[in-house]
Amino acid sequence: MTITEIMAVPPPEPERPKASGPGDWVRRNLFHSVGDGVITVIAGLIAVYAIYRGLRYVFVTGRWEIVRVNLKLFMVGRYPNDEMWRISVALSAIALFIGTAAGFAVMRRRATGRTDPTAVLGPWWRHLLATAARLWPLILGVAILLSMVTSSGPWLTVLAVIAAGIVGRLLGPFLPGRSGGVLILVAIAGFVGLILFLRVPIDVTDWGGVMLNIFLAAAGISLCFPLGLLLALGRRSKLPLIRWLSVTYIELFRGVPLYVLLLLAYFVVPLFLPSSSANPSLVLRAIVAITFFTAAYVAEIVRGGLQSLPRGQTEAAQALGLSPVKTMVLIVLPQALRNVIPSLVGQFISLFKDTTLAAAAMGLLDLLRVSDAVVAQTGFAGQGLTGEALTFVMLLFWVGCITMSRESQRLERKLGVGTR
Amino acid sequence: MRRTIIRSLAPLAVIALVAAGCSDDDDDATSGSAAGGDTTAAPDASTADSVATGATAAESSTPDSAEEVQTGESILDTVIANDVVRCGVRDDLTGFSVVDDAGEYVGFDADFCRVIAAGVLGDATKVEFVPVVADARFPALQAGEFDVLVRNTTWTASRDGGDGADFLHPTFYDGQQMMVAADAGYDSIDDMDGANVCVVAGTTTEGNVATEFAARGLTVNVLSFPDIPAVQTAFDEGQCDGWSSDGSQLVSIRSTYPAGPDALVIFPDVFSKEPLTPAVIDGDTAWAQAVEWTIFATITAEELGITKDSATADSTGDDPAKVLFLGGANADGVTLDPGLGLPPDFALQIVSQVGNYGEIFEANLTPIGVEDRGLNALWSDGGLQYAPPYR
Amino acid sequence: MLAWAFQVAVVTVVVAVVWYLVGNYQENAAAKNLTTGFGFLDQPSGFPIPDSTFRQTQRVRDALFEGFLNTLRLAVTGILLATVLGTLIGIARLSTNFVLRNVARAYVEIVRNVPLLALVLLSLSIIQTVFPPPQDTWDLGPLTVSNVRGTSIFWYEGDNGKFLVVVVAAFIAIAAVARWRRAVADRTGHPARTALWALPIGAAVTVVAWIVVGLGATAPELDGRRVTGGITLTASYLAALLALVAYTSSHIAEIVRGSIQAVPKGQGEAADALALSGFQRMWNVILPQSMRIGLLPIGNQYLNLLKNSSLAAVITFPELTQVTKLAVATRAPAVPSFVLLLLIYLAMSLVISLIVNLVNRRLRIVER
Repeated sequence: MTITEIMAVPPPEPERPKASGPGDWVRRNLFHSVGDGVITVIAGLIAVYAIYRGLRYVFVTGRWEIVRVNLKLFMVGRYPNDEMWRISVALSAIALFIGTAAGFAVMRRRATGRTDPTAVLGPWWRHLLATAARLWPLILGVAILLSMVTSSGPWLTVLAVIAAGIVGRLLGPFLPGRSGGVLILVAIAGFVGLILFLRVPIDVTDWGGVMLNIFLAAAGISLCFPLGLLLALGRRSKLPLIRWLSVTYIELFRGVPLYVLLLLAYFVVPLFLPSSSANPSLVLRAIVAITFFTAAYVAEIVRGGLQSLPRGQTEAAQALGLSPVKTMVLIVLPQALRNVIPSLVGQFISLFKDTTLAAAAMGLLDLLRVSDAVVAQTGFAGQGLTGEALTFVMLLFWVGCITMSRESQRLERKLGVGTR
Repeated sequence: MRRTIIRSLAPLAVIALVAAGCSDDDDDATSGSAAGGDTTAAPDASTADSVATGATAAESSTPDSAEEVQTGESILDTVIANDVVRCGVRDDLTGFSVVDDAGEYVGFDADFCRVIAAGVLGDATKVEFVPVVADARFPALQAGEFDVLVRNTTWTASRDGGDGADFLHPTFYDGQQMMVAADAGYDSIDDMDGANVCVVAGTTTEGNVATEFAARGLTVNVLSFPDIPAVQTAFDEGQCDGWSSDGSQLVSIRSTYPAGPDALVIFPDVFSKEPLTPAVIDGDTAWAQAVEWTIFATITAEELGITKDSATADSTGDDPAKVLFLGGANADGVTLDPGLGLPPDFALQIVSQVGNYGEIFEANLTPIGVEDRGLNALWSDGGLQYAPPYR
Repeated sequence: MLAWAFQVAVVTVVVAVVWYLVGNYQENAAAKNLTTGFGFLDQPSGFPIPDSTFRQTQRVRDALFEGFLNTLRLAVTGILLATVLGTLIGIARLSTNFVLRNVARAYVEIVRNVPLLALVLLSLSIIQTVFPPPQDTWDLGPLTVSNVRGTSIFWYEGDNGKFLVVVVAAFIAIAAVARWRRAVADRTGHPARTALWALPIGAAVTVVAWIVVGLGATAPELDGRRVTGGITLTASYLAALLALVAYTSSHIAEIVRGSIQAVPKGQGEAADALALSGFQRMWNVILPQSMRIGLLPIGNQYLNLLKNSSLAAVITFPELTQVTKLAVATRAPAVPSFVLLLLIYLAMSLVISLIVNLVNRRLRIVER
């Protein structure tokens, strides 16, 4: 194609005046052309049919009794009834912490002049509405759960959690300006403390339901991140043996299925430990397998972030006389990590979903295996209720994953990843 | 030669290495929450452990000779130290082992777990039931996930040899049979040429069905599923023409079938030998013989006519054979300790807390429709159950 | 010097730990009488593999090979379908059409955020309820016969090598036609219309080659409750395939969307300025450029699909992991079996990485 040919193309039509009104919107978005109209009709039929079947399933054909009866089993497994208050306390504590951290973060942004320009400034109920709109999947999930409970406990728990969150949010801005490090320490200590607190009645190995999935995910995430970071640094290291070790580790773990690793952790790892010692618990082995697997992926993500950073940053830091360690910790890592937050969160979402594999490989009673078990219960057996149980399980995972993913997108916007 | 092969397993070892390396970190980060739980009973054992480990380390300069690998303590000691027997069972078979509405494991196999706990620890309730699916049981046994496998497991040569299992005394002599829907139009296996037969994965039944059909000159497609509920779903949806398993299992499944037992027919042909036998890990003689003799005790009790209700009275009664068996002193004031590592009154605890073999059989298997003791009658009644003499 | 001391120390620790663990294994294996070698590979397996010719009397080695083939069947078909579906959905995500855009978005947002294992179990359950029992089989002539046990389709019969010859012949024909049309288009300026020419010619070549090499064909036929002939896609295969394709396509869709958005806007505007049709604009201008951006992440999705195919073991589809589990349950020693399994997956992953990297390099050379 020659220049003259390109020049021969008539200039684009002058842009039509932007009319408003529903008719115009429909024309532009639904029936732009004949083909567009056909697509609209076909996709519309698919959408209407799917929504119709979905609603019919939820309100008419689905037999949700199996979920309602076993709700506790789905949520916390065989956690003793008398000790359920511990779970309420733990959830409230987590909400309090998240609220405080959020309040603190907002205060810091204001104080350092990095206020989010899109933040809603206005009466408190406007804030509340914005938060609700932001967290709608979570609120939907909680509402569905509450619609199925028969006792007052869950209602009280939800109220306590909301109250704790609000109190934290209000307290947060009053923390001293340099509390960031303290908050991280509190998070770590609090995580450990909560586990100790929750395992008083029954040990972690006997936890079940979505509580077990959340615990496995939380432990996995907090352990795989430091390991992945080390591996990424190792892979970028100038020391050949360290680099070689890191590469071997990363490629080895990325090349095998997690499910097989978990089978290995179940069947094979005990044979490599001294016979005189007791086997590490299944939950511990699951966490280790998940951590090792995900760390390899985290390492690659962090490496991408490190590579994306212009060399000038390191050189500038060196010119200022910073030591290599300080350069890494103060200059390189913060920027590199900020750039890969979306990928990291994506990996953590995968990890959360992968906790189901741990239970399947090792026979732990997690959310998904509960659904398997209740379908075989006397009274429900042989009635074809697999769909109902699995739908509920998928709803809970969906709520968790979509909330994580939406919050990470919000964080990404706030930090201006890719725009600076 | 073997050493070279083992050393060449380096990739796996790397994985295991990271696992081991990290497990310490985990202890810090999760404050030993996960690890601490399982080792609550460890304080006693830990000193013994360190001694044992030290000894092993000292001797490991010549790791190829056979003696020092035995320096590790027996599972019997661990069980006594932890005061609980971890018993690998199934959780999906009414009559053998299933979780009832109260969350308790009940059934024939579950009761034999209690027999072992009563015999070794003196308390039938000190059992930790570890549910395990069929295709995971041998690796889980090797990995030490439980102390004894009581999961109606067939004793075969390959399992005895290759799977590191040590089979004890069969608790139930069974044989494989075929079940079909009553309206399927089959009168015998010979009508089933080209059929889809469904079984549970990782059992001897898969191979047996194929062998039997081949012997009859028929073709067959053997579909396997992870557990009984999965087979049942597939059967209900029409994926299977036949359902094959041990006869006792089929009787149990038929008795609880949602559409009623009459919807299913079990063909009378028994086409395999399935001695269902508890197993322990190979190479631990002390533990193996302790468990084996708790099982023999139920049979001996039935031979002697000692029942659950009469056991306590019999232990101080005037029949010297019963008194000796139940751990009482003989005429000269001496009690028998055969050196099995079991308390002298272990048989009394077993029979008084769980029952004799016949009672266990009737309590669990008669309700699901196993009417006839058959091969499982005492030898004196024409069956195969026979215990070596206790003396 | 210090750096070397540090490195040597780290490596020494690693080697020592490995040595320690392997020593433990030797000790445990000796104490528990576990087999440590690979001799079990030549023993009879003791279990049959459904919907295959593998019998329980054949060797474990052959069982693993059968499982390997099943993994390949699952992974290759899954990769092809997931790529097509994912690309379509990724494009639909950017459509100007409100309904299409949001249907695609709903699909992606739902499927991406649920565990794959739940999808696998759900699709098995769906297949078990949707497909009819054998007495009500859907019988669509010689093309396909379908019921809850599986779907049988028309397929070739005979030597695999001959089939490969046919495929290669068709491929060469299509490639030659495409080349010729491009040359014609370059010379005359007429539209290439490659698909219009290549598809009939490819089909003709396929038929001719089929007859020339003497490849047979087999059509499914309903015989009472049984289906004979054809090739059968079993319920568990279909369930695993459905779940893997749904899950992976939702991930690929996001990558395709991102890489289309990453193509500079000017490219699309230039295509518009040339008055290209919507299809031409996408197929000739946008997609080739976005391919370059999206290739590596999509390659990672292929790797994930391969590894995720191990989840088919949960619904007992006899792929590699399931066959290994069966072998271990029957007689094979756990440690050597699972190590072998890991190594096979590792090798397969490396091959896929290699292919993706080669293609990537080739695309880059074209770019410069």
